[in-house]
Amino acid sequence: MTTGLVAEGVTRVFRGGAGVRRVDLVVRPGEIHALVGLNGAGKTTLMKLLLGMLRPAAGEIRLDGIPLAALPASAWAGVGQVIEHPLAYGDLTARQNLLLGARLHGLSASRAPAAVDAAIRELALEPYTEVRARRLSAGNRQRVGLASALQHRPRVLVLDEPTSTLDPAGVLLLRDALRRSSAAGGAVLVSSHHLDEVARIADRITVLNAGRVIGTLDPGDSELERAFFDQVLADDRAEGRA
Amino acid sequence: MSTLRAALTTEARKAVTSRVLRWTTGLLLASIVALTSGILAAKELGDPQLTAKLGPIVALDGWPALLAIAAQITAAGVMPALGIGLSWIVGREFADGTITGLFALPVPRWAIALGKLVVYLVWTVVVAITLCAVLLALGLLLGLGGPGPSDWQALTRELSLTILVGLVAMPIAWAATLGRGLLPGIATAIGLLVISQVMAFTGSGAWFPVVTPALWAIDPDAVTLPQLALIPSVPLVFGALTLLAWHRLQLDR
Repeated sequence: MTTGLVAEGVTRVFRGGAGVRRVDLVVRPGEIHALVGLNGAGKTTLMKLLLGMLRPAAGEIRLDGIPLAALPASAWAGVGQVIEHPLAYGDLTARQNLLLGARLHGLSASRAPAAVDAAIRELALEPYTEVRARRLSAGNRQRVGLASALQHRPRVLVLDEPTSTLDPAGVLLLRDALRRSSAAGGAVLVSSHHLDEVARIADRITVLNAGRVIGTLDPGDSELERAFFDQVLADDRAEGRA
Repeated sequence: MSTLRAALTTEARKAVTSRVLRWTTGLLLASIVALTSGILAAKELGDPQLTAKLGPIVALDGWPALLAIAAQITAAGVMPALGIGLSWIVGREFADGTITGLFALPVPRWAIALGKLVVYLVWTVVVAITLCAVLLALGLLLGLGGPGPSDWQALTRELSLTILVGLVAMPIAWAATLGRGLLPGIATAIGLLVISQVMAFTGSGAWFPVVTPALWAIDPDAVTLPQLALIPSVPLVFGALTLLAWHRLQLDR
């Protein structure tokens, strides 16, 4: 049994042709796995499939060896995620949002405050704890969402473009948090456009293009950008798109 | 049980801090009080156009007149207001994009939806009690003296009317879920109001549970017990459909 998050032959295509086709992906414990691709490559769709937000038309997704269709709800307590929008309600303060997130992730009312305090420190949210989320900048709202996804110490973490609105300080904090999670045995999947950022944190890089996995990249490659575009261009040519 | 408690706690926290629910409650109460006072004043002044439209109410005075006018206004006005609140409670995550955060949780989505519906019903009861308290204060302020036994009965019917309209508004929750947002729910609220008005106008509404509460509150003798007994079918059926829709939810549009 492969632990972590596994996709096997997963297909989900929308009207118009967008989606993902026959995707295989393994996100292993103790590993930061990056998903890279151009806009519309299918990164967010694949992450939604991995988290049960979409059901595959074909193929199977397993969490710690159990197909999502058979997964008990309690198993999701070990998962943290931010897809598209952080879970930060505008009417609630940053702390209230984190307490709400902690309860939804299965922490008891007695354990939640300590977890929230730790997450506030981890993402340096101290100045904003009593500020309503609607008054926060997009970057700080994202920090709240990331803190909410991290605070229950998930074994599997799925983050869609987590650095897109963060300032450089936030990027550094997140990078450290992801490394800690991975070092503690967490399986981490992140998508990103920023290849230099990915190179700094990822143990493994998978390239997605037009809804298919077209290859992998070596995070240690000094010409990562060139290697990425070579793969995408070669795939587009082979498929008659370029 | 702990997941249900978590769902209820989080939904209650969101509702308590919601500006939309506070404003909706305030505007509904202010509108009903303003309209009731205005119509009562116009009736006292003998406005011929208004007295012609008031029908049998024109013969009433004091508490009976105030409460009959309030019931008429509540019957028409409370559905859109409660509909906006229900649509907001159920559809807000679709509208602001936070719906993705309600997936991949140990709290099942049907439990979150149930938490939303319970919070909505609690809010409806709070609105109903506050409305009655405000009407009582209005009557006392107008110098009508203490309500008599029949006035208390009418006030209880006013309380029940708001709660029952809240129950039969449940299709709005289903529409907000299927339509993935606030506007489908609000459109359904308007649709239910229009249907209710037309059926009440044509006199064919007593068997239509969405209209029954209003007809009963305005004229209790016009509605039979079997007709009243149909009312719970609406929240039960559409509540169950809403939970099922949340259970099977996919973010595919």
